[in-house]
Amino acid sequence: MTQPPRCLSLDQWDRRYAELCAAGMREPSYGGCLRRHVEDGDDRLLHLKMDDSPAALRLWNFLLSEEDRLREAQASGKRLVGAMKDLGTVPVMVYALDNLIAFYPDGAWWLPCIMEHGDGLLRIADSLGVDDSFCPVRAMLGAFENEAHFPIPELLVSSVGATCDDFSAIAQRLEAMGHPIFWWEIPHRRPPEPDEPSVLLPGMFRAAQSQVAFVQSELERVRRRLEEYAGKSLSDDDLSAGIHRANLVRRKLATLREIVFKAARAPLPSLEMLVAEMLAIHFCSDQYECLVVLDELIAEAGRRAVDDVGVTDEEAVRVFWVNPVADLRVMNLLEDAGGRICGTEYLFSHALDLLPQHVPPMEALARAALADPMVGSARDRAARVCRDMRAFGAEALVVSRIPGASHCAMEGPLIRDVVRRELGVPVLEIEVPTLIDTMTPTLQTRLEALVETVKRGRV
Amino acid sequence: MNDVAYLSPFVPPEWIAAHGLRPRWLRLSRAEQATDAGAHRGVCPCAGALMERVHRAGDLAGVVLTTVCDQMRYAAAWLDAQSGPPVFLLNVPSTWESPETARLYADELRRLGRFLVKLGGHAPTEKEVVATLRRYDQARAALRAECLSVSARDYALVLDRLAGHAPSPPAPLPKGEGRNAIPLALLGGPLLEEDFELLDMVVEAGGRIVLDASQGGERTLPAVFDEMRVSSDPVGELTRAYFGTIPDVFRRPNTGLYDWLGRRLRATGVRGILFWRHVFCDLWHAELPRIREATGLPVLDLDTTEGDAGSTPRMFSRVESFLEMLRESAIP
Ligand code: SF4
Ligand code: SF4
Repeated sequence: MTQPPRCLSLDQWDRRYAELCAAGMREPSYGGCLRRHVEDGDDRLLHLKMDDSPAALRLWNFLLSEEDRLREAQASGKRLVGAMKDLGTVPVMVYALDNLIAFYPDGAWWLPCIMEHGDGLLRIADSLGVDDSFCPVRAMLGAFENEAHFPIPELLVSSVGATCDDFSAIAQRLEAMGHPIFWWEIPHRRPPEPDEPSVLLPGMFRAAQSQVAFVQSELERVRRRLEEYAGKSLSDDDLSAGIHRANLVRRKLATLREIVFKAARAPLPSLEMLVAEMLAIHFCSDQYECLVVLDELIAEAGRRAVDDVGVTDEEAVRVFWVNPVADLRVMNLLEDAGGRICGTEYLFSHALDLLPQHVPPMEALARAALADPMVGSARDRAARVCRDMRAFGAEALVVSRIPGASHCAMEGPLIRDVVRRELGVPVLEIEVPTLIDTMTPTLQTRLEALVETVKRGRV
Repeated sequence: MNDVAYLSPFVPPEWIAAHGLRPRWLRLSRAEQATDAGAHRGVCPCAGALMERVHRAGDLAGVVLTTVCDQMRYAAAWLDAQSGPPVFLLNVPSTWESPETARLYADELRRLGRFLVKLGGHAPTEKEVVATLRRYDQARAALRAECLSVSARDYALVLDRLAGHAPSPPAPLPKGEGRNAIPLALLGGPLLEEDFELLDMVVEAGGRIVLDASQGGERTLPAVFDEMRVSSDPVGELTRAYFGTIPDVFRRPNTGLYDWLGRRLRATGVRGILFWRHVFCDLWHAELPRIREATGLPVLDLDTTEGDAGSTPRMFSRVESFLEMLRESAIP
């Protein structure tokens, strides 16, 4: 019988870590006590509750060691590619070349939260004229400016077109600051015209074949640029192998989501699930390790599900969550309020969908890029949310607004209306700032009210 | 009812006119954004006013919006869900370095043509297209010839007229402001109805806008058509003149905007820039420091907010102080 899992504070994790070591736990090279990340400035860990399993420990260490691992990779002769904005497509191409490593500088989004503003990145962005009317991705500007976080890649590749204004504007600013960007166009995904040849994309969206061909031609440009940079060719066979490896990660994530979101009690907390899902975007800079991390999480979740133990009780309200939270602590808050996550659309569902393997690899990548929920109409995105809510049996929807994000002004009401009409479930829209500390009681009350509403409805 | 509204300079009005419909440039008003549709926090006043104006419109056959910013894409999605006039979202690529992007824009014009036919327009003959393109090109040429002698307000209004209807040669125009006034550029997003007062305000404070680089001004006029290409490949020529030429902030990279600005600032002897940005418009907002750096000119940041129309005393005094500062800096 598996011990009922618990979510631990950092102090509790110190003791837990000592116990695990005493019991002979073996760790990877990036392993160690979580406390050391606080010593490096990741102060938010002091205010989070984290799952007590060795699998979760490995996940956190994998996430928080990324900058060090990138520097090690660079020192070992690998060249870095800063893939920006597309959230899931270009890294598949990059990892098909064995001398390149891709990561998302956009990931600096979370640094102000993780470091509780100790990073000063938002202040730097302010000083560059990019104030809080922009979303937290503005932290990326600061990270390029002070070079104190990720190593600065020599190649930056960014999608633009049907992307958010925040990122497009900030990336342009970055380029003007002396960081050249290789831009590629992702067009707005439109409904095909009647009689127009079309294809079904991952995620069940439909797109005109001509749009897929256009994106493919753009990705061909990216391919040529990567080949130049890597100093070797990137063949279709390499790409097919890259797609196969990416799909291994995506399959594992699908398994994990299936176990966790469908179990009677949540076998893993929402927070760790959010971190795990993020691995799909660029494998946290190490595709092999990413698979191992996911395997351990699947094994842990599977054991707990079989033993019918979890971090929530059976009564917990099943919530579908739209948009990532600027402060990770909100994920803890949801569980404290009596909820649990059963389905997500964190802006990168297309990185979770399997890449098609029955079409040539460049076409497969083009289809995947066009399946990005953010490049189509918000109504398409809402339709996908409804489908996934049905699949996971979600009882409520939370749309969390990202402060300053250009898409958040209008998407919430659009998604809310469609979900209410289609599913008739309660919808809550909240705004989550980078640090929620001052508004924790308000958020808690609103989440509790949502949970209560669902529970009353059950009766 | 055959008016088709649009408010992006990347929508060629002559293409709408060639299909037998009447292009109407939407001059929006701040008053229109106060109610439900445009009232969400984070919605730029322009997108807010558009949503409000269009979804209540009983006088439009259709609306053409473009993908040049997030706010417009979301506005299109919102309008699509309402019972207002049909909305067409024209894909205008942000990038331009690959020829494929121009091809995409040309295909989008053809798709727009099919939409216009569905709205009650007709598929034009080649002769009709060519004649309409020439008519618009000539009207713009006449306007360009006139533009140095008119006030910024009148120039803007004539451009408006030109964009909105099958053009007739511009009516005689009033004389421009005093030649001793300080030459300024207006750079940024679109002016809403109430914002025209800014242009009068500048004159009153002793300035003269010699370069209207706002959206809808000189910057966003298409290039002069090539006579031969109009006849041989009208869609290709529209693509070149609009997509291939108009410098805008959303282009990636947007070096074209800076090249154009540099040329025009030198040619017009501008001494200061009025930077006109709508609140929540990230695309213009992020460029402000770079505009300062690239032009080396004094820049007055005019960020508009709801209820803070061009006529407010605060804005007037800021414009006045800016001009005062420019005047003083000219004294040796
Ligand atoms: S959070 Fe939203 S606005 Fe910010 S970069 Fe991501 S998609 Fe863009
Ligand atoms: S002002 Fe800016 S945000 Fe508003 S519609 Fe124009 S480009 Fe878009």
